[in-house]
Amino acid sequence: MTAVDPRPGPQAPSLLARRNPTVKAAILLAASLATLGFLDPRPLLVLWALAVVAVLAAARLPVRTLLLGQVPFVVFGVGLVAINALSRPGTPVVPGAPVSVEGLTIGVALALRGLVIGVLTIGFLASTPPRDLMVSLVQHARLSPRYAYSVLAGHRMLAAMPARWATIRAAHAVRAPLRRGRPRFGLPDAGRAAFALLVTSIRSAERIALALESRGLGEGPRTVWRPVPIGRADVVLVLVVVAAWAGAAVLGVRLG
Amino acid sequence: MSETTERRRARLPLRDIVLMVMLGVVFGFLYWALVQAWNGLAVAMGPAGDLAQHVLLGGWLLVAPIAVAIIRKPFVGIIAEVIASVVEVVFLGSPVGPLLLVAAAIQGAGSELPFALTRYRRFGWGVYALSGVLGAGLVFVWSAFRFDWYGQDILALRLGLQLVSGLVLGGLLAKVIVDRLHGTGVLDEFAIGRAAAAGRGPVVRRER
Repeated sequence: MTAVDPRPGPQAPSLLARRNPTVKAAILLAASLATLGFLDPRPLLVLWALAVVAVLAAARLPVRTLLLGQVPFVVFGVGLVAINALSRPGTPVVPGAPVSVEGLTIGVALALRGLVIGVLTIGFLASTPPRDLMVSLVQHARLSPRYAYSVLAGHRMLAAMPARWATIRAAHAVRAPLRRGRPRFGLPDAGRAAFALLVTSIRSAERIALALESRGLGEGPRTVWRPVPIGRADVVLVLVVVAAWAGAAVLGVRLG
Repeated sequence: MSETTERRRARLPLRDIVLMVMLGVVFGFLYWALVQAWNGLAVAMGPAGDLAQHVLLGGWLLVAPIAVAIIRKPFVGIIAEVIASVVEVVFLGSPVGPLLLVAAAIQGAGSELPFALTRYRRFGWGVYALSGVLGAGLVFVWSAFRFDWYGQDILALRLGLQLVSGLVLGGLLAKVIVDRLHGTGVLDEFAIGRAAAAGRGPVVRRER
């Protein structure tokens, strides 16, 4: 169900997969926020191209996976370009047309922002197993293990959600009135199934909390099994990303 | 000694943390299923798809008021929203990316504020309604900055759609869900269940 499969391939882990997850997460958030500073499509296009090359090379991601991962961002981007071109006042592209140059430029810039953030997110997810991220956040970001292990338990529950949904749907379908020979499944039925899913999940949340508590979570200091390393190469990664964004900012200023 | 017990009281019990995670997981899964159906529709509607998303915005606010109403402790709304956004970004690969964490913290704060003002004691329709409006209103400022809505002709229309959606889907619907959940009895071990039990008073034993 995850968008990108983080399982490592048969060969050694990629360059990006060997970096520290906390550092990668911090870079991802900071770079995404910094992308909001650009309103000119040209430096954003450069950043996007750099990010695509970097992710393909450093995360050893197949081109097809990356392209498929970009589809939702392109869909979202098309909507952004369309609404901005139509709803923003300014000089029309063709005299008399409802599309303005300013609107089109801003629309393309907004869509490109989304694409840049999308590539970085795909690179992050493809190179970071959830378990390593949580352990690293406990080790290096002082996240309480109570939250980290609860979220990891949630990860397992998420994987079980489609099966639970199917079970509830099957149970409801047995009793549902037939419509054209098939059990009815309208919006109210979907709401009923969603509520049943919520109730059973809250029940299992209580059981999970008991299970975690009985394993000693929440009392005293803990050791970590298979700790996640952090090192000099992570500093290099930070410097490379900062240099790329600074370069794009300089380019944006130069272009006007 | 007294300091450690004091600190322990400030920490959330594991049961409450797992409940927040579970709310994030369930709603994350439901949104994920909804978005699959939604994307096709948004493409078909073209530019109107961007606007139509505002109608459903309130649905994203649900986790915070539900968590606050059940657990009834400070910062629960913000923590629950952020956990839900982590589930969506890290586990489900949401196309919004890491900026969803920022939006989640902002809307969680907005949704929690009205409950905090009553010191987590009143949970009537009015508080829920205000919670939905404030959650939608605060996150609107952030979205407007992110997507540069300020220069567009339809800014007021966007704000209106989002506030109404927040009121109905992010406020009133949360009360309906919490009340129905309470009715099933699954919340009896949480703060909401204990408060209801305290309100009923002690069980009177019949003297023989």
